[in-house]
Amino acid sequence: MENVLNKEIKKIIDDCPEVGRILDEYGIGCVPCSVGTCLLKDVVGIHNLDPEREATLMYRIEKAIYPDRQVAKPVIDTTKKSAPKKITYSPPVKKLVDEHVLIKRLLALVPTIVDYIESSMKVDKDLVLRCVDFIRTYADKYHHMKEEDILFKYVDEKAEIIQVMYKDHDTGRGYIREVVEGAEKGNKAQIKQNMLAYQELLTQHIKKEDEILYPWIDRQLSTTQVGEMFRRCNEADASVGEELPKKYEKLITDLEEKFLQEVVK
Amino acid sequence: MSGCPGSRTIDFSEKTDQEGSETGKRPSQLRQWPIQMHLVSPQAPYFQGKDILLAADCTAFSLGDFHKDYLKGKSIAIACPKLDSDQEVYTEKIKALIDDAKINTLTVMIMQVPCCFGLAQIAKEGAEKASRKIPVKQVVVGLEGNILSEEWI
Ligand SMILES: [Fe+2]
Ligand SMILES: [Fe+2]
Repeated sequence: MENVLNKEIKKIIDDCPEVGRILDEYGIGCVPCSVGTCLLKDVVGIHNLDPEREATLMYRIEKAIYPDRQVAKPVIDTTKKSAPKKITYSPPVKKLVDEHVLIKRLLALVPTIVDYIESSMKVDKDLVLRCVDFIRTYADKYHHMKEEDILFKYVDEKAEIIQVMYKDHDTGRGYIREVVEGAEKGNKAQIKQNMLAYQELLTQHIKKEDEILYPWIDRQLSTTQVGEMFRRCNEADASVGEELPKKYEKLITDLEEKFLQEVVK
Repeated sequence: MSGCPGSRTIDFSEKTDQEGSETGKRPSQLRQWPIQMHLVSPQAPYFQGKDILLAADCTAFSLGDFHKDYLKGKSIAIACPKLDSDQEVYTEKIKALIDDAKINTLTVMIMQVPCCFGLAQIAKEGAEKASRKIPVKQVVVGLEGNILSEEWI
């Protein structure tokens, strides 16, 4: 088992697709990952399963790869139901999780907005650019920059999960460039395709951060680092002024008023 | 079972599950004097910009690895929320530690008995009064010296 633990997950799944299905059952979605060079041991470690679940998972993976091997089945005490783990974040990380909430509110509006644009005679350029402004200023400059400049610096930036996060941020920026181009040219299809792609990307991205990446980083932070990171994030927020988050919260509330009512109508 | 759980008599001298090593010397991690909350001054150099441990008196006697796991790297103040007098002073000192000494974090360590949560309350009040914001953590120690919970509040 030792040498399998040190193998890249993509290779393991390529050789034995059953492993991908098993990981999926445990909420570990390596199959659609865009990079896939994580080692199996890191993949399992990062998800912080309780010891019994982890033992069963490793047993099943080993059995899938080496069906003929004699592997001792872990003894599980089924009378002891493990409570679902509640994620608690340190204060600076919690602030980032809270910022996701506003971003998710925009993502939830995207399908309605896209439909509206598609069905209107002329592209509402102003509307598209307001969404783009939120994404570029609030989601990217205000939020992603704190992740990239502060949070990610506390862990090994070469770790694959961090690389995937950088890549997601970049891919998102690419989609938004396309959306702007579509708005300039009045190309509805280009706007629709890229807005939806952005929505899909960021939805998954935020889920990964909230459930896996942030807790993983939090587990590695010392108390001193938590205090320092809290201060640095506050300084970053202060440098853009306290009006900025308020302004974008209002932008989202206005969009919700317009488009959630459209849905009700 | 009646009376205050904070002063109820419990004897666990028969406890046998003693893991850990008795060999080697463990140095003290204390780097300051004084330590009692009424005696310390928020202006003391050992508080400036530091991570502070506000420990209920009983915690250090309960927790076997108090020095190694919790005191190390931190400055400390100790208090008893049940028996100490003039506790308003404590709230003001915490505020001063946050605003003037610009401490980095505050960890409040208390025993699991209900009266001990008063110390966490004092810490919260001091932190709310302060104009600077810092992360505050609460660690609850069981009567037999086990860590029951450790969370940011
Ligand atoms: Fe991100
Ligand atoms: Fe994020």
